[in-house]
Amino acid sequence: MTAGAWICLLSPLAGCLAITLAGGRISRRTAGIVATLSVFVAFAGALVSFAALAGKDAEERAQLSTAWTWLSAGGFDVGLSLLVDPLAAVMMLIVSGVGGLIVWYSIGYMAGDEEERRYFAYMAFFVFSMLLLVQAGNFLLLLVGWGLVGLASYLLIGFWHERPQAVAAAKKAFVMNVVGDATMALAFFVLIQQTGTLDFAGAFAGAEGLSSTTVNLVALGLLGGAVAKSAQLPLHTWLPDAMEGPTPVSALIHAATMVTAGVYLIVRAHPVFELAPDVQDLAAGLGAATLLAAGLVALVQTDIKRVIAYSTMSQIGYMFLGAGLGAYGGGMFHLMTHAFFKALLFMGAGLVIHHLAGEQDMRRMGGLRKAMPRTSLAFLVGSLALVGIPPLSGFWSKDAILASALASGGYGRVLFVAGLAGAFLTGLYTFRMLFLVFWGEPSGLVAEHADGHGHGEGPRSMTVPVGILTVLAAVGGLLEVPGLWHVFGDWLHPVAEPLVEPSTGQDYLTSVLAVSLGLAGIWVAWLVYAARRRTVPHAPFLRRLLEHKLYFDELYDALFYRPAVGLARFWRGAVEQPLIDGSIAGVALGAREAGAAVGRAQTGFLRSYVLAIAVSAAILLVVFVSVK
Amino acid sequence: MTGPGISWYVALSGALFGIGALGVLLRRSPLIVLLSLEIMLNAANLTLIAFARHHGGADGQIFALAVMAVAASEVVVGLGLIVAIARGRLELDVDKLNFLKG
Amino acid sequence: MASFLVWAVWLIAAGACLGSGVAVVLSTNPFYSALALIGNLGSLAALFLLASAEFLAAAQVLVSAGAVMVMFLFVIAYLGGRAAAPRRGGPTWTQVGAVAAALVLLAEIVVVTALQAGGRLAASATIERSFGSPGEIGSLFLTDHLLAFEITSIVLLVAAVGGIVLALGETTETDG
Repeated sequence: MTAGAWICLLSPLAGCLAITLAGGRISRRTAGIVATLSVFVAFAGALVSFAALAGKDAEERAQLSTAWTWLSAGGFDVGLSLLVDPLAAVMMLIVSGVGGLIVWYSIGYMAGDEEERRYFAYMAFFVFSMLLLVQAGNFLLLLVGWGLVGLASYLLIGFWHERPQAVAAAKKAFVMNVVGDATMALAFFVLIQQTGTLDFAGAFAGAEGLSSTTVNLVALGLLGGAVAKSAQLPLHTWLPDAMEGPTPVSALIHAATMVTAGVYLIVRAHPVFELAPDVQDLAAGLGAATLLAAGLVALVQTDIKRVIAYSTMSQIGYMFLGAGLGAYGGGMFHLMTHAFFKALLFMGAGLVIHHLAGEQDMRRMGGLRKAMPRTSLAFLVGSLALVGIPPLSGFWSKDAILASALASGGYGRVLFVAGLAGAFLTGLYTFRMLFLVFWGEPSGLVAEHADGHGHGEGPRSMTVPVGILTVLAAVGGLLEVPGLWHVFGDWLHPVAEPLVEPSTGQDYLTSVLAVSLGLAGIWVAWLVYAARRRTVPHAPFLRRLLEHKLYFDELYDALFYRPAVGLARFWRGAVEQPLIDGSIAGVALGAREAGAAVGRAQTGFLRSYVLAIAVSAAILLVVFVSVK
Repeated sequence: MTGPGISWYVALSGALFGIGALGVLLRRSPLIVLLSLEIMLNAANLTLIAFARHHGGADGQIFALAVMAVAASEVVVGLGLIVAIARGRLELDVDKLNFLKG
Repeated sequence: MASFLVWAVWLIAAGACLGSGVAVVLSTNPFYSALALIGNLGSLAALFLLASAEFLAAAQVLVSAGAVMVMFLFVIAYLGGRAAAPRRGGPTWTQVGAVAAALVLLAEIVVVTALQAGGRLAASATIERSFGSPGEIGSLFLTDHLLAFEITSIVLLVAAVGGIVLALGETTETDG
């Protein structure tokens, strides 16, 4: 039964290796096909695992499969083990399914790029790493997967490495992720010391006996990693810059899968978090703060991909809010629907960018509705799902979270209000983007590209996945209709029992409020950007604050970057150059001088040589005589 | 047999050796240097033969014969070199033949 | 009487040896130096005879005094005037050092013999008549010291080849 899980994990790795080893011997298109097929095989494996799991009783749905004992030190053992349980199965399906669609889409998007093979090898590697992360049976293997997805992200953000912005963005992403990795590692050290194991079952059981300070520390460490990986405040500045990577990368890594790993971690380690309620509240609070801040900053972005990036940040804030309050089912459900509509939005944006030959500035777009009707329809579906308009998927999942917030007492009510404000903002910035790009009269740039270069809105490898995702974004939410059925929540129940269950009345109240606010946001966007009956209010201070992304980059620059660079310069001048370089150069110089000095004995003068021999012979004779 | 003892032979050979060494060190013509070298070698031969006589074993004489053969070969090569230098129109002065300097 | 004869011959031969050696070193004309060396080799042959090394005395006269010195004389004749070089000259430090080194060596050797003479150098061994004869030498070469014999022959071969190479190499250079 776990064969399906192993196939799921290893197929993308095999694809990556095949592309790498074949090198230039396969065509670029073949590399894309190999990568896509390897991810779809993984999806098949995930389906097999899911089916096998579904065939069992609810209590038995946790299969641990260990390949071998990877590490054994003292009493501490770690095995190369995969855990397939409902939570893992959901993630496997999302990662391999949405991932497969995006890799397929890349065949069309990246066609013509010189280094397509490298791209597809990296994409397959990323899918493998992400699957390793979600299928890991213990924290150490999870950390391995965690680090590998960070690496894949770095490689793919900096894919076009001749662009200095891309390289800088990749470094920034990697460094911030490493901060999270470090806090996670510290948490694991504490766990090993206190509980002696990193297996999920063992660690959770052992954690119950620990002091509250220890558990808080462990939970904080895990939260640090989740915050860095999921780009929440305060470790969020890397995500907008990561848009330097190709659009499918943004869709896969920075919308659908990698950035949601933080949410997965919180849900997976929820026993630890439940023992540290303050940290859980902190997680929910950070999520709420992020969703508001990101929503505000998205209002002034001009690059279409950055709007979607901030939107991702904001939606993950919702997921953190849900997971932090104990609504694990809601958080994971929103993760799934978000994967559908966010990937859809990114891929739609990719179709627009592809059609306009690389243009990403929304101010130069407009009126694309006529030139790209199907894309604009897909984009509309994605946007409505994002804002949470029924019956599209986002409505069901977002409101599940908000309703749980309402049901969670005083603190939860505050977060509920924040979430509602976020719903208004979401409607506003999303439809601002949609109206700017697709509505109105075609701009000059759009008119230039109106003929579509002869192949309609895009090659079939790009339009078909978009079509599939449109359908999923539309109907995917129907897995969980409050009051009727709870397929998703029940599926996850054995793994992560939710801490709050909103009543039906709270559900309806939430839905009414959230949908009204979302529609209000859409209406304001209509007024300003489509019908042009109002203008944007003139608030220079606020505008400047938002355009500088709340000055986080400047803050980190002053707090961390400049002191570090200054210290490095000091050490180089005071220590490295005089002492280390000096001593090495000194050794070389000394050897050369010594050689020159000794070389002066080579006079080429025969008689001096003979004299030397005679003198040495005399000395040796004396030695022999006296020593005897 | 009666006659000078071993110490006389050794003293004589020592003196010869010293004379030969002086010749090698003081003369500037490579030819004379080779001749002086011959004197040194023969002095060593004398010591070998004297000790062979003293100890009663002929191994010293065998050694001396080998030394003679090697000395002859060395003179062949040395003279060949001198002739080559002369043909190359260089001066036959060991002080001036310092091309191995440095 | 026999003892006196032996002593006389020995002293004359030793004197000739030393004198001709000095003549080799001090003579300005290389031809005279070569002749002095022939004398040196001859006196040494006499000394060898006195030390019961008959075969070696003969080999010395034939090989060294005969073949080697003739070669020297040929080369001196070929070089003609160029063979002569100033007797002294060069930096004074070499001269002083040379004399010092030679004196030191001489002194050491004398000291060594004087020291050792007290112990085991007193009595010489008794020998048979065949000591130093060609037969004895020959059998030793072919039994105990076979390796030395073979290696010496190889050295001679190499020297012969080397000599020819040096001679021919020059010819092709000057002709081409």
